[in-house]
Amino acid sequence: MDERELITRVRAGDGVAERALYDSHVDRVYRLAYRLAGDDELAREFTQDTFVRAFQRLAAFRGEAKLSTWLHAIATSVILNGLRKVKRFRRRETDLDEATGLVGGRREAEPDLKRRLARAIDDLPEGYRAVFVMHDVEGYTHEEIGGALGIETGTSKAQLSRARAKLREALADFAGEWVP
Amino acid sequence: MTEDRFERVLRDAARDYHRPPDQTPREEMWRQIEAARAARRRRVITLRPALRWGVGGVGIAAVLALGIALGRWSAAGPERGTRATAARGGPDQASTLAYRLAAAQYLTRTEALLTGFRAQSRGAWDRRGGATSATQLAAQARDLLGTTRLMLDSPAANDARLKSLLEDLELLLAQIAQLPASGDREDVQLINQGLEQRSVLLRLRTANPAGPGPVRAQGAL
Repeated sequence: MDERELITRVRAGDGVAERALYDSHVDRVYRLAYRLAGDDELAREFTQDTFVRAFQRLAAFRGEAKLSTWLHAIATSVILNGLRKVKRFRRRETDLDEATGLVGGRREAEPDLKRRLARAIDDLPEGYRAVFVMHDVEGYTHEEIGGALGIETGTSKAQLSRARAKLREALADFAGEWVP
Repeated sequence: MTEDRFERVLRDAARDYHRPPDQTPREEMWRQIEAARAARRRRVITLRPALRWGVGGVGIAAVLALGIALGRWSAAGPERGTRATAARGGPDQASTLAYRLAAAQYLTRTEALLTGFRAQSRGAWDRRGGATSATQLAAQARDLLGTTRLMLDSPAANDARLKSLLEDLELLLAQIAQLPASGDREDVQLINQGLEQRSVLLRLRTANPAGPGPVRAQGAL
């Protein structure tokens, strides 16, 4: 079944086609949600929300972009909006911890590159992080990233470059380990 | 070290960043998606009689009363002028009223839940039966969370103040929904702090001053 036929059948309420559409895209959406959220519950929630919205809005899909691009635009919007809310909640938690003196000196030593890298990626600005994770971690092309995030391909490339520069800077003290 | 080498090292190390499980939980997520869509369909079906009811004029006074109650708080301006025409029953106006009706019902239920939560948090968790109540509150919060999302996606969220309130409620309901039966003290404290800092109950009561008694038992959205 080609994509156009699949969409037509989903719009007509064909349950088998709905499942086929879901099966074709769910792995990639879930992986992206997981990579960005770092939490299984959140990744599931974002993935589910993406598909609920996609089925709800499929009637408005005009086919100007590929279905996967359109779906990823929904997914990134759901994920990034969801993460903003989580961040707001966590900020409240941190504020409370600080107010009650639960947070101490912070930043224990982290000799492990991967842990330091994870923290550095977490600390990237939202747009840089999304582009970095999509391109360098999940292997999306700049065209796919541009379509999903609603930005130009050149912007995606520029953001990736800046993200790498920031990571390089954040991990400067590991430079010795990269020397062969 | 060259740029290429850095990028290679970075990419290798980044592969482990938030590494997802090998298997996507397809079936579990699909069940949740189907349940959410079925719930949405049920709500839409329930909405239709409400629309007919409004258009037919049988219960229009009650619907308008709710609209006015919400209107006092929500956007001033164009809506004030449309109330009279809404009573004549154009489909757009009827739809607006239905959303107002749904919003009123949702706000009432949420207010009741949050008030219950505050009462519960003042020590009831320590008493016998507290765990049951906490579980019930969490279940109600989960139920209302779905409606919150629908409200945020509906024309009701065109009102900036209602949208801001809904976003705060979404956060609070999510926190309550995840509370353990024992009502973890720190979590409870956090939720109460959120309620206080954002004046959520006050904004809820301002949004829905009279309490829409006639629609409490209905599922209009």
